Amino acid sequence: MTTTAVRPAAPARRNRTGETARLVAAAVVVLVIAVGSIFVGVSDVSLSALMANDAGAWEIFWVSRVPRTVAVVLAGMAVAVAGLIMQLMARNRFVEPSTVGTVESATLGILVVTVLAPDSPILTKMIVASVFAVLGTALFLAILRRLPARNTLLIPLVGIMLGGIIAAVTTFFAYRFDLLQTLSNWMIGDFSGVLRGRYELLWIVAVLVLLGLFAADRFTVAGMGQDFTTNLGLNYARTMRLGLMIVSLISAVVVTTVGAVPFLGLVVPNIVSLLFGDNLRRAVPWTALFGAAFVLVCDIIGRTIRFPYEVPVGMVMSVLGAILFLFLLLRKRNA
Amino acid sequence: MKKRLSSYIGALAAGAALLTVTACGGGATASSQPEEASTITIEHAQGSTSNVPVNPAKVVTFDLGVLDTMNALGVEPTGVPEASYPEALKKFSEAKYAKVGSLKEPDFEAVSSAAPDLIIVSGRTAGAYEELSKIAPTIDLSVDAAKPMESFKAQTEKLGKIFKKEDEVASKLAEVDKTVADTKTKAATAGQGLIVLTSGGEVTAYGAGSRFGIIHDVLGVPTAADVKAEGSHGEAVSFEYIKETNPDILYVINRDTAIGTAGSTANPILDNELVKSTNAAKNNKIVNLDPAGWYLVGYGLNNVQAMVTAVADSVA
Repeated sequence: MTTTAVRPAAPARRNRTGETARLVAAAVVVLVIAVGSIFVGVSDVSLSALMANDAGAWEIFWVSRVPRTVAVVLAGMAVAVAGLIMQLMARNRFVEPSTVGTVESATLGILVVTVLAPDSPILTKMIVASVFAVLGTALFLAILRRLPARNTLLIPLVGIMLGGIIAAVTTFFAYRFDLLQTLSNWMIGDFSGVLRGRYELLWIVAVLVLLGLFAADRFTVAGMGQDFTTNLGLNYARTMRLGLMIVSLISAVVVTTVGAVPFLGLVVPNIVSLLFGDNLRRAVPWTALFGAAFVLVCDIIGRTIRFPYEVPVGMVMSVLGAILFLFLLLRKRNA
Repeated sequence: MKKRLSSYIGALAAGAALLTVTACGGGATASSQPEEASTITIEHAQGSTSNVPVNPAKVVTFDLGVLDTMNALGVEPTGVPEASYPEALKKFSEAKYAKVGSLKEPDFEAVSSAAPDLIIVSGRTAGAYEELSKIAPTIDLSVDAAKPMESFKAQTEKLGKIFKKEDEVASKLAEVDKTVADTKTKAATAGQGLIVLTSGGEVTAYGAGSRFGIIHDVLGVPTAADVKAEGSHGEAVSFEYIKETNPDILYVINRDTAIGTAGSTANPILDNELVKSTNAAKNNKIVNLDPAGWYLVGYGLNNVQAMVTAVADSVA
């Protein structure tokens, strides 16, 4: 097992039952927030109405509330886990899909398909977005391999610059085709359009998160470099490809269905790492739970702050995420 | 000494040359005197401009509403913005009309080289007023959303005065007034309306006093919901909100139709169970308003007539 090589086995074994209990407790907390989210909205869907078998309330429940909550949970988990995987592959804590060009590439993909074939179904858009996301992320990783020093700040800086260039190309074409405002709709994550029949593709990311969980140890190893990985009998290139695929697909699916959710992939894995250390197999479920909780809370805030109108979740997250991120940076410097 | 003398002579020569130039300039102004007499003062949103020429030969405008009015009056512009022109104004995308920037940002070099006699800005380009004023007489004909009809009429009458088409403006405005009055009587009993804009999968709602508020404020369609009127971009709402406000008429402006699928009235965003449960859907009163006319053009002489007629049809 590669795991035993990486983590000290004894304390982990001793804590295992306590760890599982804590995970279950956290899952219950997320579930409570999710149930709370189901009862937030413009229409009247109260527990008593549901108990009284009010057909109208049940309709809203199934058509609008449950899909939205499920979409929020899925997107929150997936984007946070994608951020974690990205950070391992780049061996840098300040890297995530929206700071290395993955999200920007996916957006460029949607723009291209919207201009060339505006009537194409959402699945086609998603596939094109995924291809672009893979190419963009691969470009980043390729640049990363050629960087002389693995400087902590240089890596995210390069990522942000690459993302900036791709975003500039996207903006230029959006401007030429009068799509600037449509572009800003894609770039700001928003769950207000989620209804039954409009979010189901997000279940794809649930599969990807599971895949990430099972492959987690491999990314930890791969993050330590090609030689180290090969010494442990792992195919470095294949592992990097797998990670690249997971991260890109998650980004593309989320961007096409709800739009970009900023900072999530950055902030959540960092919080988890501060609290639980760097053991990846442990970190994946925690990251997923924290991600879901963070987006749930932000979406509830977005829905209530200007009730009955909505503030896009992307905007709430930018504000909360930026504050959290600054807090993390300052803490790190003081430590 | 010799050097100083030569520089004196040089200065004298320069002075003489300058005198001649000024004299010539003076003469030129004197000869164009009759033309200068035909300027008028126009009071507008950003003050008053005193040297607005009557029947200017070269007009640059950034406002599609003003362009629509000029088109209705048969006045040819020299410079127009680069934009995706709606059907009624399609001809202005031709190269013979100089492109002087976008709907929002003037291209000052292009404006300058078009050498206009008059520049007309509005809402989207009002901020460039000061800069443009340095190139040529500039007026700001923004329509005040708080009193759209009065404001639109006042602006149109100003254009009538500038282009010496007062009679045509008066008769066309009377036509608009008549349609407005007819619509008002019918709208009072036609049920409550809600205005939404759909864009990239999302929905925003507009209320009285907003940029599309003319439907409620002027044409008297009762509001299905008291949507706040802040900014020009409406309020982001969920489909539950539409279901709960349950409008009898749902006015839809679909920004996405501008993207390739123009002319299509099907709106995939609103095709869902919650919207279908509203009175508007049941009574077949989901009204697709012309997005280019409402969103891009706005207050132009032909366009306002078309806008009012569309609402009149919806309450018929």
